[in-house]
Amino acid sequence: MRVCDWVLDREPPPEPFAFQVMPGELWMLMGAVDSGRRELIHGMAGLITPRAGRLELFGCDVARLGLRVRARLHSQIGVVLEQPGLVPAWSVFENLALLVRYHRLASNRTVEDYVVDFIESCRVPRAILSRLACDLSPLESRWIGLLRALILRPRLLLVSAYLPQETLAAGYDVWAFFSEVVEPMRMAIVVDAGPQALPISAATRLLVMDQGTLLAFGSAGELAEHPNPEVRRHARFAHA
Amino acid sequence: MIASMLARGGRGMDRLSEAAVRPLTGLLEELEFLAVVLISAGALPRGEWPFLLRHIGQQVYFTAAQRVYLFTVMGLVIGALMAFPLIVFRIQDPHLLGRIMHILMYHQLNPILATLFVAGLSGAAITAELGELRANQAMDHLMAMGVDPYRFFVLPRLLGLALALPILVCWLNIGVTVGAAAVLGLYQDLPLAVFFRVCLADLNPESLALTGIMVVIQAIHVALVQTAGAFRVGAYVDIPRTLPRAFAQSFIGCLVITLLFSLVRYG
Repeated sequence: MRVCDWVLDREPPPEPFAFQVMPGELWMLMGAVDSGRRELIHGMAGLITPRAGRLELFGCDVARLGLRVRARLHSQIGVVLEQPGLVPAWSVFENLALLVRYHRLASNRTVEDYVVDFIESCRVPRAILSRLACDLSPLESRWIGLLRALILRPRLLLVSAYLPQETLAAGYDVWAFFSEVVEPMRMAIVVDAGPQALPISAATRLLVMDQGTLLAFGSAGELAEHPNPEVRRHARFAHA
Repeated sequence: MIASMLARGGRGMDRLSEAAVRPLTGLLEELEFLAVVLISAGALPRGEWPFLLRHIGQQVYFTAAQRVYLFTVMGLVIGALMAFPLIVFRIQDPHLLGRIMHILMYHQLNPILATLFVAGLSGAAITAELGELRANQAMDHLMAMGVDPYRFFVLPRLLGLALALPILVCWLNIGVTVGAAAVLGLYQDLPLAVFFRVCLADLNPESLALTGIMVVIQAIHVALVQTAGAFRVGAYVDIPRTLPRAFAQSFIGCLVITLLFSLVRYG
């Protein structure tokens, strides 16, 4: 995924910026409140339009695509926004199976097996499938929201939400989940969820935003030596 | 003093012109929404047909099949109520009774009553359901993951209502006829068979087609107003504000549609 000459739609117009995310890379969005992190994730998800700039998804300029092709591209993106966004009147199974059926990832006969296999591989108890989404606890809703994004086996995962540290299985933490389930999928990941959300190290890539523009990007180790004190602050915080 | 009066007058004129333009703006917004839905429908991939058909079926079931009992009772009672003034005015000519049933009930009041109920029951349910999906970001999630919200959420509801409302109007007409026939038979000794025959006699393909088109347009209007209202929801607090507004807007629109069709028919 590539963002070119992107200008967020806010006043005053911020500086344009560009960056690229390759498969298998994890990028963490850093920045103060209202620095434009949320708008960037929403813009990459196609939910808001920037003032200017171009978005390339998997080598295609999104603005030049027809509705069908754009929908096909978006079927390769997993999105987790601020709220879990489940359909409350549906069961967990129906919520998870919707995108599998819609994008024809499995035939009607095999949808159930597909969903069950997936949640079992994520160590989520199978009994949760029959529960209504409106009856789930906030932690369960968050996890099902994340699993709904991952069940597509997307090439790009955009996360704009706080990710819970604990999983739905006892003794299985979010770090283990990421290394066992998410990393093998080799997807590009952009997370706006704070420095505690995912396992990070000096090699973790950071996108530091301020006032609607990108101040710097690179590994936490590199950015710790950056001339801008704001960037250094975020890089050190993340590095710590 | 004069300047402030002039300013107040100017503001009043602004408000008046806004009020005059508002229905036109509403109509244009509704047509724009319909255009977006139709463009989305035009890009419907073959794989989405099962979804669309299943959701249309569900909408017809919720709107028509689940309301059969309600519409039966309502039709019988309205038919009986409609018969009492005819008895009081001693209107006994079967042909005149048949004409009254046609002009007053089949082509005007029954479609309006059916639309009123559909807007209040199914329409409000649509607004509440889709409004909640907007407020909890479910629609945003699905949109970002390749699900077209107009095709997935609006089109089946629009087509479902357009199929269900004519069925309900037919059912209501039958109920009203039976209710009126029962009361007229009881008080004026009018044979049921005679009343049914005169009611059927004036039904010609042109008038049926015109009423059918009117009812379908009313259904489309209700679906568009209710779903567009839901799409404007930003947070949960907007839902209770949107519900009565969308209901009133869809009902007033249906009255205007009925008026326009009556002008075409009788004007």
